[in-house]
Amino acid sequence: MSKKEPVLFRIGWNACINCGACVAVCPQEAGFISPFDTIAVDTPCDIACMACEEICPVTTITHYLHEIDAA
Amino acid sequence: MYDLLVVGSGPAGATTARIASERGLRVLLIDKRQELGAPIQCSGAVSGHALEEVGLSPEGEFVQEAIYGFSIYNQEGQKTTIDYRQLKPDEYGTGEGKKPLGYVVDRRRFDRYLMTLAERAGAEVWLKTEGPGLSTLPDGSCRVLLRRFNKELEVQARVLVGADGLQSQVGKWAGMRTHIKLRELASCLQFVVDGVETDGLLEIVTGHRWAPGGYAWVFPKGHGYAEIGLGVTRTMTRQNAQAHLEQFLKESFFKDRFKGLRILEIQGGGVPLAAPLRTQYADNLILVGDAARHVNPITGGGIHTALSGGKIAAHFLSELLAKGKKPSRQNLKGYQDRWLEERGNFIWKLYGEKSKIFKNKDISSRDEQLYQIMSGYFSPHSEYKKI
Repeated sequence: MSKKEPVLFRIGWNACINCGACVAVCPQEAGFISPFDTIAVDTPCDIACMACEEICPVTTITHYLHEIDAA
Repeated sequence: MYDLLVVGSGPAGATTARIASERGLRVLLIDKRQELGAPIQCSGAVSGHALEEVGLSPEGEFVQEAIYGFSIYNQEGQKTTIDYRQLKPDEYGTGEGKKPLGYVVDRRRFDRYLMTLAERAGAEVWLKTEGPGLSTLPDGSCRVLLRRFNKELEVQARVLVGADGLQSQVGKWAGMRTHIKLRELASCLQFVVDGVETDGLLEIVTGHRWAPGGYAWVFPKGHGYAEIGLGVTRTMTRQNAQAHLEQFLKESFFKDRFKGLRILEIQGGGVPLAAPLRTQYADNLILVGDAARHVNPITGGGIHTALSGGKIAAHFLSELLAKGKKPSRQNLKGYQDRWLEERGNFIWKLYGEKSKIFKNKDISSRDEQLYQIMSGYFSPHSEYKKI
């Protein structure tokens, strides 16, 4: 399987209920977290499975492509 | 040097810390929060039996409402009621010498109470403390890096107990793959509300229309309040939990009952309808509670399993260390073996039943199976009723 394009996650903090469900389904290694019980928002994710976006009860996680926006 | 460093002061961690301290171990219990229990991700239902089993009594400090039974609904609103006030009127009820079947607890107060008991038993507790990593030392103990109020420090312990919940990082420190599959974590949202009457029963609503791959609930919450929520499996629906909850409130057979509700709190999170972790130990490390997925895969209930898992962990570890044995991976396997024998094998069996139902692609027969298993599960004759 080819590696996916790395993405960066963006969290709409206004809707976030800090439940941590996104972290619970995240296959990343330890530490891919923010200080607010969510997945990391400042680190590129090369797994890009989007399980975090799916599980979010209030759908407040989105992503953008790392390369495009960083360039 | 501590015997145990317990990461996470929820029901599993605080119970491990309390019982291990009572049995003479030197315990440090840490939690990253400044107050326990919040943000709440849980409805707070726990049986009286579950409290008794770990030496707790239902204190006013944390009990919000007494529970006497269940009503299980199908999608259309037909129900099976299992009210122990009627089934066993001599044992359950409000009169003298009678008791409730269970309780809805305030998780903020409950978790604080459990931590208090751990402290009174001799455990040291540090709040606002988290641990970014661990390393194993040559003498068989481990060193854990902690951050407490922005200060970095190192603690040495024989065994690290990961009780850091569904979002567990502790197992990942040791390279374990502990995340939950998307299809096994129900995405949940609940409102604590005013203006919805309840009658001492946990009400559970099944049916794909309201909660695909999960169920909806109406639980009494004390002071005339109720909690209304639901969980869905996201691989079975395109809509999120919030949208499903809106539909349940506005369109279900309860819509008239819900008409005047006022929302007081919004809570949510992931509820695992998952199998236990296949490996719950590593060198110097065990996992307990949600972190080990000690949960009921049918109901998603996790307080009872967290309490009993904590007790099993505390007993096992105090015996192991008293014998002077090293907490190696090999020796800590005994913890998981004991847990499987006392709890886990039953949970695996329940998981097998849950998986069979969830694999059924025909929605109406799956709904019927779910209604049947939920109704059977809470009956007085169920082989699982004490999990």
